[in-house]
This record gives sequence, C-alpha cells and structure tokens, in this order.
Amino acid sequence: MTHIEVGEGDAENGVLALVVTVVELLVDALEREAIRRMESGTLTDEEVDRLGRQLAAIEAELESLKRDQELEEPVDQLRGDLDGLVTDAIQRLDEDARSVNRPGYSVFEGDAS
Amino acid sequence: MTDGGRRDARAETPTFEEGRYVYCLVSLEGTDGTSLETEGVEGEPVRVVDAGDVGAVVHDCEEIYDSADLERIRRWLVRHQRVVDDAGDAFGTPLPFQFDTVFRGDDAAVHAWLERERETLEAALSSLAGHWEYRVEVVRTDPVDESTLVRADADLTDLRGRIEDAPEGAAFLLEKRYERRLDEVRARRRGDRADRLRDRLADHAREVHELERTRPQSVGELSAAADDGAETVCRLTLLAHEAAEAAIGGVLDEVAEEDGLEVRFTGPWPPYTFAPSFGEGATGRDGGPEPTTGTDAR
Repeated sequence: MTHIEVGEGDAENGVLALVVTVVELLVDALEREAIRRMESGTLTDEEVDRLGRQLAAIEAELESLKRDQELEEPVDQLRGDLDGLVTDAIQRLDEDARSVNRPGYSVFEGDAS
Repeated sequence: MTDGGRRDARAETPTFEEGRYVYCLVSLEGTDGTSLETEGVEGEPVRVVDAGDVGAVVHDCEEIYDSADLERIRRWLVRHQRVVDDAGDAFGTPLPFQFDTVFRGDDAAVHAWLERERETLEAALSSLAGHWEYRVEVVRTDPVDESTLVRADADLTDLRGRIEDAPEGAAFLLEKRYERRLDEVRARRRGDRADRLRDRLADHAREVHELERTRPQSVGELSAAADDGAETVCRLTLLAHEAAEAAIGGVLDEVAEEDGLEVRFTGPWPPYTFAPSFGEGATGRDGGPEPTTGTDAR
C-alpha cells in the first residue's frame, strides 16, 4: 500500500495542504461539470456566467490561500502522489498484480525452510 | 513508496544453509573455458557452474541480500548489473536474473537443475543470441507553439473566438475548456509521434515495448531534482539484433532532426525486459513456469 506523506515537519501545515488539495480536486470536478452543462445548452447565458464567476472566485480564493500559507509546493506534491496512486491502482486492476506484490528476492529449488 | 506487504514478507525471510546467488545464465557454446574475471555483490568471487552448453553465473551465499540502507542496496544493484554486463561481454547475450535470486543448494544442485531444464534454457539462450535490449527516450525540449496547435485544431480556434466575445464568468469556463482541449491535442500529437516511431522501429527490432512515459523513480534517483520542463514524448524498449543497431540509430537520427525533439538512445543492455521467466512450481504471467519465491507476500 502507498502512504502519502503529509507534512514534512509541520503537521498542521500538512493537514492544511491535504484539505486544500481535496478542495482543489472538488473544484476541478465542479468545473468539469459546469463545462459539460454549458456545452449541453441546458443553462441560460446568465446562469453560465454566474457559475463561471463563482468558480473563478473560489479558485482565486484557493490560490491566495496557497500563496499566503506557502502551500503551493506541498499541494503540487500531494496531487502528484495522488496521480501516482490512481495510476498504480489502475495498473493493478489492469495487469497481473504479481510484479507489484512480489518480494524483492527469489529463492528456488531445494527444501523449503 | 512503502510496501506494507513487502515488510510482512521480510519478517519471515527464507533461510537456507547453502545457496548460490544467480546473476544470469550464459551460453557456453563455442567458448573455451568458463572463467569470468569479475567481482560479485559484496566482493564475492564469481564462478560459472556449467552443464553442457549452459552456464550459470553464481557466487556462494548463505542468506538473501536485504538492507534498510538504500545506498547499500544501490551498490548491490550496480554490482549485480556489472556482473551481468561482464558475463555478456565474455559469453554473449546472457539471460539475466533479477537481483537477489538465490538457488537453494550447492553447485551440484545448480548443475542438476541446469541439466533438467537444459532444453528450455538452451532454446531461450539461442533465441536471444546476438540480441540485446535498447532503450529509446524521445523528449520534447521545446514545446510546440500554442498558436500552431490552435491553427491546426478547429475546436481550439472556435474556443478562442468565443472567449473573446464572452462575459467574464463564461470566459472563465471557456478558458478552462480551452486548456483541457489543449492538453488533449498535445497528448494526441505525442501519441501519434510515438506510434509512428514504434512502427518504424518495429521494422528493425524483434520486439518493441512502450514503457510508461514517466520514468519510475529508482533507488539512485531518490533525491533527483524535478525535471527541467521538458516533456517526454515516449519511452520504448526494444529487443533487436546487434546487426540492426545502425539501422535503428538511423531511424532515431531522423527523429532527432525534428525541431524541439531530443532522442536518448542507450544500449546494448542484457535483455532484462525480454528474458522469459522459468523455473519450477508457480505458473508465470505467460503460462510458463517461474522460480518459486521463498514467501508469498500477497
């Protein structure tokens, strides 16, 4: 299992970085959904504009929080770790899990001890 | 990355009184003698145990190699690789074994195993004879101009126009869509470039495999700095005959001449990626047998 390192040194900042990362992912998902609705034509122009302004405001807020708390790097790092975790998980579903879980050594032949 | 399963397995590492650490198998056909001048892991003297035309490059050991010291493990891995390289220089393409593969028993036991598996091993060795592994990495050091991508893609052109006419909130969403589309277009161009290269290399190689685009972090690179903004287009590994090396180099030279692309070509390596798995007991990925592992971490 992969462990995600939260906070090098300062635990409080580590938790904050984790929270900001999760909120960012949520905002990404909301943006995706907003784009989908905009393109599907189910929203009026005013609704699209209002949605866009709200998401822009949230994004600006997150950016300034990251800047003030010096979280840009830890958040990038966490997002990278999460990407790796997801890729690993997909691979494990995709392929034989053998190579992932195999011990680092092999001993063969003879009587098993 | 910490592997919880691995740690559990370590608690019950296999023990044995006498064992042979195996680096690789080599073909002794047409070679005189079995002497190999090299130094093994932890300075152990390396020998070749032979059975007919097949030789196993080994050293005597009493336990598996395990350490919490990454630098030490790195030295072991480098040494392992060096021995396999030296064996390749001396005897031709070797059949490399994974680091820390230990055969339980003495020389006679190794000999008996080689005898028993001789047909399979000889076939594997002769099939790989003269073939080596080559690695190719294509890197875009200079990104394709955004305006070029916009001109070539109707969606991007359309989005640019809409963004200019849209009110602030809508423009924000359109800008997001534009960025996503741009990523897609770049990814597609990358994929197309990689496919074309694969096809061309396949004419000269016996096998071509595409590796993950991001290089897995290795023990030696634990503290490596972040990359320089260059984008990896593809990473390939090939199994090719040494006679095809020049032709492959020629194909790669053409790619390297394209603007903004850089090609890294390494080899010849022992065929680590292409060595078949065999041994007794468990069934391997491709249905063939493979060495039974001391403990099952799953």
